[in-house]
Amino acid sequence: MINWTDEQRTLRAAAADLGAAVGKDHLERDPTGEFSRTGWTLVRESGLLGMPFGTEYGGLGADLLTTMYVLEGLGESCRDGGFPFSVTTHVVSTGIPLQRFGSAELKQRYLPGVCAGSAIGAHAISEPDAGSDMMAMRTTAVLDGDHYVLNGSKSFVSNGPIADTFMVYARTGTPGAPDAITTFLVERDSPGLHVGSPMSKMGLRTSPLSELFLDGVRVPATNAVGRPGAGFLVLDHVMKWEILLSFVVNLGEMEHRLRECVRHARSRKQFGQPIGSFQAVSTKLVDMRIGVETSRKWLYDTAEKLVARKNVTTDIAITKLVVSEANLASALAAVQVFGGYGYMTEYGVEKDVRNAVAGTIYSGTTEIQRQRIAAMMGLG
Amino acid sequence: MSRIDEITRHVVAEFAPDIRADELDADYDLLANGVVDSLGLLRLIGWLGERFDLPVEDFDLAPEQFRSVRAIDAFVESALVKGPA
Repeated sequence: MINWTDEQRTLRAAAADLGAAVGKDHLERDPTGEFSRTGWTLVRESGLLGMPFGTEYGGLGADLLTTMYVLEGLGESCRDGGFPFSVTTHVVSTGIPLQRFGSAELKQRYLPGVCAGSAIGAHAISEPDAGSDMMAMRTTAVLDGDHYVLNGSKSFVSNGPIADTFMVYARTGTPGAPDAITTFLVERDSPGLHVGSPMSKMGLRTSPLSELFLDGVRVPATNAVGRPGAGFLVLDHVMKWEILLSFVVNLGEMEHRLRECVRHARSRKQFGQPIGSFQAVSTKLVDMRIGVETSRKWLYDTAEKLVARKNVTTDIAITKLVVSEANLASALAAVQVFGGYGYMTEYGVEKDVRNAVAGTIYSGTTEIQRQRIAAMMGLG
Repeated sequence: MSRIDEITRHVVAEFAPDIRADELDADYDLLANGVVDSLGLLRLIGWLGERFDLPVEDFDLAPEQFRSVRAIDAFVESALVKGPA
């Protein structure tokens, strides 16, 4: 049980106010997949984007747990599920690897833009033939003097259409080897870099996504983030943060959803009594509650372990699996509890299902997380 | 048992159970020869952190530091003496 300070609670309340404001028109923007530029202006002004980064770069210097607690508040209040996803993508894609692996010069050049939100970040990892098996990526980076030349294409680049900077993972070594990947910070206006059109998707529609094409893009060797060949370790670090920050937003969403379902189950009457008095319904609500509490435990326990410099490779995989599946189960249960109202788009309940499915896929599918846990157990 | 022997035994037990510890050359390239893959690298780093009480999250890590038993031993030595770079 973490005892949050008044200052932490104040920060969370501010994030909750922000989320409520951004989410007001979510039902209108979801069908068209419109990213909230107004929301981005608000989040820039709030300082939220710089939470985990040093004050010397314009950040707030908050620790991991505080950052999570505040983002949980954003998730609890923001009904536009795509917006917090774009926020966390921005923070973890460029800021987190820069802070941990970037040179002093790179940090000085790019972290202020991350903190201020003036340069929206994205990372480019997945490829048409390399999703879960990222080590099979075909995008190459070849050293040419003091530059690397990048060629290839990337799929499913969250924030792609709106991004100013891309953290591109490219192959610099023998395919499949653990030292084959290097990470590069690439600016959007680099010659040869082409951002594809926004792609329509099932959920998280208001968080724009596209392909990325790299055709002879010359990147200064000094824009490598981490050592050459260290891309897999950079990504491992990024994924720890991505899972904790993105999925703590889902925890907030689950808390809100549970509250709404309980309220509805106590007020909605059928056969002369509240539907919550029927065991078939109350069981769903209890399972939702268990999902919330289990998710909270895994998220914050894993974060505390990470802060304590313990090995969390297995814990992160379990956390990701538990929270994403709990969120999907919770969203489906909510549709059932609300019945016909849950199925209609105008109430926003069904949208949560579409959003939640994404969580079982991005940052490593449920299946690959099980594979990862098995591998950490020495099972192949 | 020396540290390099302990690392050798661990690598053999976890990643190359078909050979004996005395058959693994300390300079054998574990990465290029596929003994340690990407997830294996994470397992290895996790074990080193726990066994030698190293805050591995604070180090500027690169696969190169884990290429061979000798390289791993040198990484641990440096980490214990100097701490995170």
